[in-house]
Amino acid sequence: MAKKANIKKDKVKKIVIDKSKSIIDAPSGMFSDKINEPFAHEMIVSKDRSENLTPKQRKRKWKSMANYFSANSLWMLMYCTGCCAIELPQAMTSRYDMERLGMGPMATPRQADILLITGYLSLKTLRRLIYTYEQMSEPKYVVGFGPCTLNGGIYHDSHAVINQLDQYVPIDLYIAGCMPKPEAVMNGFQDLIDLIEVGEATGWKDYHARYEWYKQNQKEALGEVMIHDEFHE
Amino acid sequence: MMNSTNRPGMNEMVNELKARFNVEEVTFVQDHEAHVDLHRKDLHEALTYMKQNGFRQLSAVTCIDWPNEKIFQLIFNIYDWSKGNRFIFRVKIDREEAMFTTITNIYGGAKYYEREVHEFFGVVFEGNDSALKQLFLEQWDDLPPLRKDFDSRAYSDRKYVKREYKTSFGEKGGEPFERN
Ligand code: SF4
Repeated sequence: MAKKANIKKDKVKKIVIDKSKSIIDAPSGMFSDKINEPFAHEMIVSKDRSENLTPKQRKRKWKSMANYFSANSLWMLMYCTGCCAIELPQAMTSRYDMERLGMGPMATPRQADILLITGYLSLKTLRRLIYTYEQMSEPKYVVGFGPCTLNGGIYHDSHAVINQLDQYVPIDLYIAGCMPKPEAVMNGFQDLIDLIEVGEATGWKDYHARYEWYKQNQKEALGEVMIHDEFHE
Repeated sequence: MMNSTNRPGMNEMVNELKARFNVEEVTFVQDHEAHVDLHRKDLHEALTYMKQNGFRQLSAVTCIDWPNEKIFQLIFNIYDWSKGNRFIFRVKIDREEAMFTTITNIYGGAKYYEREVHEFFGVVFEGNDSALKQLFLEQWDDLPPLRKDFDSRAYSDRKYVKREYKTSFGEKGGEPFERN
């Protein structure tokens, strides 16, 4: 009993907050106990260093904080394409419970952060997917499920579906398996969260940077990205 | 395959059809299901007759491509809910000049089936102008894809970027995996 109390005391000592400092100067223990991670390292600010921060360093610090918070509040757009989607209900419901990772379903692309592309995409779907992706507000992340999004999978020689999704929209993470089991899906979500935390899920920045290239590819496969059907006329 | 069945309504219906129309062949696939090959001129009258006699549901319209015989075979699948019987009418049309008269004034639901058959096989249905519009394949730029002479893989290779791998998988032709 006595031993336990000692350990606790140690920890408490580390997390003493100097209230005269702004919130970014708070010690790392407040936000994360994974001190060895690069992100957490950023957050450790000693009294001396914080006084000598250049504007650039200050900005970086704010950014790492923003990454931390967006990684812990993710809204997933409920838009499913291929058969991989059948594993999402398990991931969402009580058995695997996606919400314990801080992820929730969202019905509209305008308020969603994550676009899950669950399998093959026909040209007709790809058009609507590009509409959807461009409507989402930034930062936004795309996860590709299964080999169908990677190289066409078992539909690699079909006239109807595209082969390589990252030619048309940027992908941050692929999840393996045809279809990926819920464990793999959850694992993938955890990986995505880690990527966002360290600021490496930068697909949406790539979409800005190479916009012309993406548009060119889209045009080559689709002819025209604009949708002409009964509902859009 | 059977030549007759004891199911109520089936034999009577087949006999009626044989008496009235130019029926080429009848095969019973199951107790409650018969395939009827008809001459294409008789199809509309036969469908009208069937609809008046209980077959109120059109379950599907589809098509089979026979490139060697140079024909398309149109398939009309109808169902009688009161008796649980199913009839499948098949007619042959010319492959080069693939035209048929619409059945939308008998079964309204055929509108979209005909549109699909037009899209995937290129069959034109006279009297159903909406069938000429695109449905699944938007801005399609090749042969209708379910024709047998359409090469799906060549189209895919031409149109979609393939991922390139530095390692070649399977070049060794399935060399046995060594266990230790
Ligand atoms: S990867 Fe497999 S399960 Fe997923 S969409 Fe493709 S074929 Fe279906």
